[in-house]
Amino acid sequence: MATIELVNIAHAYVPGQYAVQDINLKWEEGVSSALLGPSGCGKTTLLKIISGLLKPTEGDVLLDGQRVNELSPKERNIAQVFQFPVVYETLNVFNNLAFPLRNRGIPEDKVKSRVNAIAEILELTHVLKKNAARLGAAEKQLISLGRGVVREDMAGILLDEPLTVIDPYQKLHIRRKLKQLQRELELTMIYVTHDQHEALTFAEQVTVMNTGEALQTGSPADLHTHPQAPFVGYFIGSPGMNIFDASLSGHTVTAGELSIDLPASTKADYSGAKMEIGIRPEFIVVHRDEQADAFICDVKNAYLTGNARILDLVGAGLQFKARVGDMSPIRQGERVWVRFPAANTVIYANERAIPTADKEAIA
Amino acid sequence: MGIELKNVSNSKEGITYAKGLNMTIEDGTFLALVAPTGTGKTTLLRVIAGIQPLDEGKIIVDGEDVTGVHVRDRNIAMVYQQFINYPSFTVYKNIASPLQVAGVDKKTIDNRVRTVAEQLQISEFLQRLPQELSGGQQQRVAIARALSKDARIVLMDEPLGNLDYKLREDLRVELKNLAAERDAIFIYATPEPIDALMMASHVAVMYDGRIIQYGELEDVYLRPNHVKSGEYFSDPPMNFLDGEVRGDTAVISDTFSIPLAAMDVDLKDGKYTFGIRPHHINLEGEVSGEGMFGMDASVNLAEIVGSDTTLHLTHDDMEFMAVAREMRHFDLDEQINVLFDPRQIHVFDAASGDIVENAVEARQ
Repeated sequence: MATIELVNIAHAYVPGQYAVQDINLKWEEGVSSALLGPSGCGKTTLLKIISGLLKPTEGDVLLDGQRVNELSPKERNIAQVFQFPVVYETLNVFNNLAFPLRNRGIPEDKVKSRVNAIAEILELTHVLKKNAARLGAAEKQLISLGRGVVREDMAGILLDEPLTVIDPYQKLHIRRKLKQLQRELELTMIYVTHDQHEALTFAEQVTVMNTGEALQTGSPADLHTHPQAPFVGYFIGSPGMNIFDASLSGHTVTAGELSIDLPASTKADYSGAKMEIGIRPEFIVVHRDEQADAFICDVKNAYLTGNARILDLVGAGLQFKARVGDMSPIRQGERVWVRFPAANTVIYANERAIPTADKEAIA
Repeated sequence: MGIELKNVSNSKEGITYAKGLNMTIEDGTFLALVAPTGTGKTTLLRVIAGIQPLDEGKIIVDGEDVTGVHVRDRNIAMVYQQFINYPSFTVYKNIASPLQVAGVDKKTIDNRVRTVAEQLQISEFLQRLPQELSGGQQQRVAIARALSKDARIVLMDEPLGNLDYKLREDLRVELKNLAAERDAIFIYATPEPIDALMMASHVAVMYDGRIIQYGELEDVYLRPNHVKSGEYFSDPPMNFLDGEVRGDTAVISDTFSIPLAAMDVDLKDGKYTFGIRPHHINLEGEVSGEGMFGMDASVNLAEIVGSDTTLHLTHDDMEFMAVAREMRHFDLDEQINVLFDPRQIHVFDAASGDIVENAVEARQ
């Protein structure tokens, strides 16, 4: 396995119109990663650039630090698993898995031990002699996956929405197998999807993309607690982050009656920038009884989501959602007292989070 | 005023989809039919619409017997999971078509099309063709068409099923608001509890061609009357553990039993099914309180759903789910400790699946 890197990548299918721009991303060897974004965000373009199906207009693709722009997909040794399983229907499962090894002239005893090892992890041992055509979509997808990882000289594995055609009841099994395979073989795997659930469940490192930009790369917990762009706050988590239009006056950012000072260490000049304040529904503190220095809000709506109760609140000159426990007695029409904890409130200038004093101190 | 189903039965090719259904759907109701795929939800919608004939029973709308009345002669609109639009018509013509068929004058049509397009945020696409729009926009067009003619009954069959989850989130809020503005009965079939929770005023849980529970939303959610109601109307599905009551203890497995006093129930000796929702089993350290029970477990898989992490766990041979209230990474087979409050357990009869005693907070 290898470290995969994109350096200053930009691509325009039509001259001057960039589908992706300013992409600098690094996938370390043996890390499970995901590229996540809505359709049209540019993730498939990046996938093709990594695999070699597309030559980027600008920038370099590096494998273990070596520039591979000129190498063909085959020469890059990057395997790909697609939405629809690809199996050799006339071969049995063993021969399907052995195919890439025999193609390279690997001795048959090695083929056997490697195929058996992969089959063991994927729990395909009992069907090795069966004809691949006779298996269901889930098992066929495991074969596609197994064939992608069977060669030990692969640089990386790209997964393109691999669970789309899998029956809901079997998804759980495949998700576990994917993670197990990644961990046990220490594979460099990049999972490309529009589905938050798939990306966050699979990957240790997730890159969120929108409109051709890579907005943030981090662990699921990072993306949740420190969204670096309003879109990340909206796209990750359910319901998404509350984002308020704000204005800047001197050192103070204001949305409705909520005013927050920029971190004391802020040196950049944000005058004229588009200012926003973001806070997640689950970080808002809601009280049923009167509180000093809390905002009085009306509960416009209160509904269960299964795990929690979501409140639509109006107050402090703002409209927003807050999350409380499912057994909370708060109902529509009530009055509540609300606080926005400073530690979980993010200030955005031109759609980028302003670094907090905390983070600067750590850095 | 409203819809009444009287002893409605329907079967097709030897399979029974509805068995003696009786229900009254009052005016102003947004009813969610909740059940997994293949349990008769679509059939019931088709029966109410008059597309599917009844074997037995009557359907009464606003006091009038409409059994056998053709769908075209009923004031009904329907939205399907697969976006159905006329591909060669513009979005405007798609939305206008039911009104044109009904012979409404041009000015009224124009007015209604623009109003409903505005409500569904597709005004800017009125002159485009459906195929030029995204999936979410195409479904908005189909919904707009269903709502344009001000039907008395709006039937929706998993209309959000094919959409991304952020789109679904947005559309649920919009549909709820649209329904509130209208003088129509909405019936919405879905396998997703969240659809019902976010939009419906009433819920009917279907199982084996029957409505096993029907009532106001929160009532059904808090007080499942049958294991299937707990399973279908819970996301993730409720955990069920089979056990036996001997004296003052519920024995779940060789290594796991719960005193009845901890559950605050009196039960006769016998076999029971104990149900608890996954989000009432939490990580040690995340919750606290008196009377909590602890259990060690091994993580089969941690799935990040929404803003939480759903944990698939094993303890001895018991498999169950729990919820961590944060996005967190767990290793496969990681050993963890979970806590739950036995008072949040619903007790069902092992043989019939019927409720014996609801969780403490849900008792009336």
